Amino acid sequence: MDVELAKPFIKAAVDVLSTMAQIKPAVGRPYIKKNNVAAGDVSGMVGITGKQNGSVSLSFSKSCAVSIVKNMLGDDISDIMQDVKDAVGELTNMISGQARAGLAEKGLVFEGSTPTVVMGDGHTISHIARTPIMAIPFTTPDGDFTIEFCFE
Amino acid sequence: MAMLDDFRTKEFLDQITILNEISGSKNPEALPELVDLLKNPIGDTSIDYMVVNALNAVLSCCEEEVIGGLTDDHEGYNILCIRVAGEYALKNAVPTLMSMAEAEKDPDRLMEIITSLARIGDPAALPVFRSFLDHDDPFIQSACIEALGSLLDEESIPRFKAMIEDSEAPDRFEVCDLTSWKAVDTLAGFRTEDTVGFLVEKLHHKNPMVRRIITDALVSVGPMCAPLLLDAFERGNADSRTLNANVLGFIGDRSGADGLVAAFDRGLAEDENVRYAVYEALGRIGTMKGIICLVDGLAETDELLLMAVIGGLEKHVNPGMISTLTKLLAGGDDQAGRLSKAIIASRATAIFDALYENQDVADALMDALSRSKDPEIIEEFRSILAGIGGERSEADLARLPKVASGTRQALAADDSRSMCAMHRAILTDLGFVPFVAANGEEAYELIEEGQEFDVIITDMNMPVMDGMELVVKIRNTQGMENIPIIMVTTESEVSQQDLASKTGVTAFITKPFKPDELKGKITEVTGG
Repeated sequence: MDVELAKPFIKAAVDVLSTMAQIKPAVGRPYIKKNNVAAGDVSGMVGITGKQNGSVSLSFSKSCAVSIVKNMLGDDISDIMQDVKDAVGELTNMISGQARAGLAEKGLVFEGSTPTVVMGDGHTISHIARTPIMAIPFTTPDGDFTIEFCFE
Repeated sequence: MAMLDDFRTKEFLDQITILNEISGSKNPEALPELVDLLKNPIGDTSIDYMVVNALNAVLSCCEEEVIGGLTDDHEGYNILCIRVAGEYALKNAVPTLMSMAEAEKDPDRLMEIITSLARIGDPAALPVFRSFLDHDDPFIQSACIEALGSLLDEESIPRFKAMIEDSEAPDRFEVCDLTSWKAVDTLAGFRTEDTVGFLVEKLHHKNPMVRRIITDALVSVGPMCAPLLLDAFERGNADSRTLNANVLGFIGDRSGADGLVAAFDRGLAEDENVRYAVYEALGRIGTMKGIICLVDGLAETDELLLMAVIGGLEKHVNPGMISTLTKLLAGGDDQAGRLSKAIIASRATAIFDALYENQDVADALMDALSRSKDPEIIEEFRSILAGIGGERSEADLARLPKVASGTRQALAADDSRSMCAMHRAILTDLGFVPFVAANGEEAYELIEEGQEFDVIITDMNMPVMDGMELVVKIRNTQGMENIPIIMVTTESEVSQQDLASKTGVTAFITKPFKPDELKGKITEVTGG
């Protein structure tokens, strides 16, 4: 079940980033981590509720987040901090929405919360469930990011 | 269908109403027009999305059309039919889905087919799931493991075992991958002596996360593991006995306590680490035999072991144990001194409360309490004394020292309550203000709150976040790159220490240790 839930998020992340930011991320090998903190420089997180409850986070390295913003906004950057925050929130929302739409087509209906964005070098955020967390590392030419899933 | 005539030219609100009605009625007559709307979308995202929903509803009543759609050329309709077959568990779709899986090269589409077959749950599809257990894509592998597990496919058990065996290979054991997790959970789900027994044998897996997952899986299997764990306890070395006893304690079944007491009586807990783990487990389970064994343990002379005994008894205070303790403490000998110190250091407030009635004993405990330099411990017993009330306790309250906090701070993380108490005592003795945490995450929260530490002591194996992850996080935290970290471990395997060294541990100390050894190590790494 967990794997079936996670896969659409990966596909959505690749789709959304390539469409919105012209970045084609390469998917690495997923692994399990037992701690429930996601680490990165900029993270977007959404809570997912439905048949199972959990959370999904996307944590970007600073360089990756900045290059996404540049690709999305071109030279029209007014306040890099605010723009990175907005962009990561927006991307997280789009990825969550697209993945949930895919799941709904299989009869797996989930609600997604409004994304929360956390910024700060090497910050951590906590997932709600106490089960193992599946982490999928992605690499892009401008830096790395990680998607993490945690479902009860 | 008349309702859908001229659909494209209708108003937005009318379109929504019509599609909603079809979703409710699931009228098969709407199918051809809906398929056309899917294949040639209107272009309005919300309407197109509703078309998919209406189509999903109608297809739920049209099995033949769904099966036909599995081979449709249109990508979107094809995927929808694969999903609908799974959602409504259409068994007749299985043969087509199976042959599609065999021919499919695209991993995303293959994943759709596999999950659809998994949701149908027909044993006829077993060969397909088995054939993809070695697929390159770990998601496909894992989906197959889950599917085979829910169908309880005994033929695949050796494959699952091999996955866990292989994950211990020198080039792989540092990462816990998706398949190891799924294989452990699936083997536990069989709940047979063979599969659970295998997991018990693998409790000492080289990867700490796999070990944790196996522990959780065995705890969820529950009492049926007890005889297998006890059997492994009999045969194992000190390290595996320690882990077996821990899991028996977490399971909390009476048979586990009885077995541990029997093994204890046969001299299988001579090793101090094993004895420590047995005492903690007996304290968690709390059977009569276990409590008697803990009461016998009051004769231990090692400080740490005594704290485990007291910590265990604290949860099951009874008159018999209190009368034994009273006699021992009233003796006034060296052992009485050790016991009162252990009661105070492990914050055994329930035992303290019960013993306080006897004045001699109360005096001995108050002496030990007055010698404690730990402000939190003194505060805790202060509130117990205030609760007891009466002249004597008021006089004792007045006797308690006002402790000035040290300026140096230290953090200790350990999931064992008695180990935390021991660290606390050692650190206060050295003049540190001690902070303790039950796991790496709690420890890291303290760091995130902005607490600053001069030294950090951490256990290697802890739930939620283990010691190694904690060290990695600390080392990646600005300003904490060089803070001394001491890791406490019972692991005799060199590989574990190697792994930990790479993460940035300053020094190791192996359990069992005398408090002075740890004190020496702390002094050494903090430069006095």
